[in-house]
Amino acid sequence: MSDSESINGTNPGSGPIVWATIIAVTCLLLFLFQKILWLVVPFLLALILYYFLCPPMQALIYRGMSREGAASTVITVFLGFVAVAGVAVMPWVAAHLADWQDMLNRYIQGGMQLLNRSLRALEVHWPTLANAHLADTVTSRLEHGSGSLIDHLEPIAIGIMAWAPSLMLAPFLAFFFLRDGRTFKRFLGNAVPNAFFERTLFLLHEIDRTSRAYFQGLIKLTVLDTITLAAGLWVLGIPGPLALGVICAVLAWVPYVGSILGGLLVVLVAATDFPDAPGMAYWAVALFVVVRLLDDFLYMPLTIGKSLELHPLVTVLMIFVGGAVAGISGLMLVLPVLGVVMVIGETTGIIVTDARLMARHRQARSLRKALASVDL
Amino acid sequence: MVSLFRPKKTTPRLERLRNLSLFVNLTPPELRIVDGLLHERDYLAGEVIFDEGEEGQAIYIVASGEVLICRQGQGEIGAVAHLSAGTFFGELALLDNSPRSAQARAATASQLIVFFRDDFVGLLDTHARIASKISRELARHLGARMRDMALAYGAHQHL
Repeated sequence: MSDSESINGTNPGSGPIVWATIIAVTCLLLFLFQKILWLVVPFLLALILYYFLCPPMQALIYRGMSREGAASTVITVFLGFVAVAGVAVMPWVAAHLADWQDMLNRYIQGGMQLLNRSLRALEVHWPTLANAHLADTVTSRLEHGSGSLIDHLEPIAIGIMAWAPSLMLAPFLAFFFLRDGRTFKRFLGNAVPNAFFERTLFLLHEIDRTSRAYFQGLIKLTVLDTITLAAGLWVLGIPGPLALGVICAVLAWVPYVGSILGGLLVVLVAATDFPDAPGMAYWAVALFVVVRLLDDFLYMPLTIGKSLELHPLVTVLMIFVGGAVAGISGLMLVLPVLGVVMVIGETTGIIVTDARLMARHRQARSLRKALASVDL
Repeated sequence: MVSLFRPKKTTPRLERLRNLSLFVNLTPPELRIVDGLLHERDYLAGEVIFDEGEEGQAIYIVASGEVLICRQGQGEIGAVAHLSAGTFFGELALLDNSPRSAQARAATASQLIVFFRDDFVGLLDTHARIASKISRELARHLGARMRDMALAYGAHQHL
């Protein structure tokens, strides 16, 4: 071992204790975040908005605008754009609402017919199912349970109204991230002793890099999902392959649950638009299963998992752990939370086990103590 | 609206930054951007800033006080250089993450400005013009140091 190596203390890397702590803290955070989703969701949206608006703000600062002015300008322009888009889209949405309601009913009916046909086909092959009147029972229960579309719209509308104030926090938070992000980082840096300063700065940069990489990974994953699914649907001849691909890829942001919703959507479209060809719906299901397998075991580890520098096995296992600990919110949050906790945990482990850094910190403290008591 | 883009008056802090050799060619708007990336640290006399062999993450600029660059643990006996206000050290950390080649200690109570490598790399992506101006000053500094070393080596040979 060289002198410099012995001087710089030990650096054993992340051991099992550090990793066990990382996983335990991730689970604890997911459990807590589940309780304050009203704050976590706008915080995440604000982060996405921050990474989206950061480049134009930097451009304005470069052209001589103050940081405050640039942050206010980009947020104002963004909100203005959203308001204009909302005003422009609203009349069109109102005009087509009735059509969409009919279309939705048509697709739901198509799905029910497909289910009915499939169950009756099963009854033909298995007399036990026919004796149990499986097709009639399931169909009547679904018809009774599904009710009218208006019954479902009401809770959705109430949910949107309840979440609206919380979601309006997102641009507000994004503005302060843009305006005061650097100050906050500097504030955190100032609170750290000199001996750990470089390591801590590195840690803050890694967290920033990890968050950025996660959101960029998510965008890449969405593009890959869209292309694969749209290509498959186009080959099958299902109408609107690109639109369906985009919707399903966005729904897949919620692992597993979003995928199931996306799959149902594709099957409904296939069953309704091809009522005389039930095979089409089965092909759509097969395609969707293949895309989901590709997504969960290849695309996600390659994009989000790779961007967070996580082992593919850890990525998949942690998604299951997240779902078990905190349900749907756990599925959505597990990877970004794990990424950030991993960086903090690994860096803290390195600092705490570095004997030289700890010795330098003790020396600095003794110097400060001596200075404080010099004239006593 | 147009007034928003008018050149703004420079502040004493920006003037102080502009007097530092590394940022001497930057305009006030460029200095404002760089200022947002800098950190200030206070060190007491005798406090270690970094050790020889440590992985370098940042360049240090002496804002006030004096810094001793020396062989690891040798203090004044192993002194390589004494740096005063306006100069900088640890500059190779901006280029790669190679180990520090010497130890740095505050010779007197000092205030240092710290410029982190990842911020510099980010600047190369977002503000290549600013990064190129800083790089040029860095290259000049390294060139001058190489000349000094060559001269010292030549003088030694001559002796």
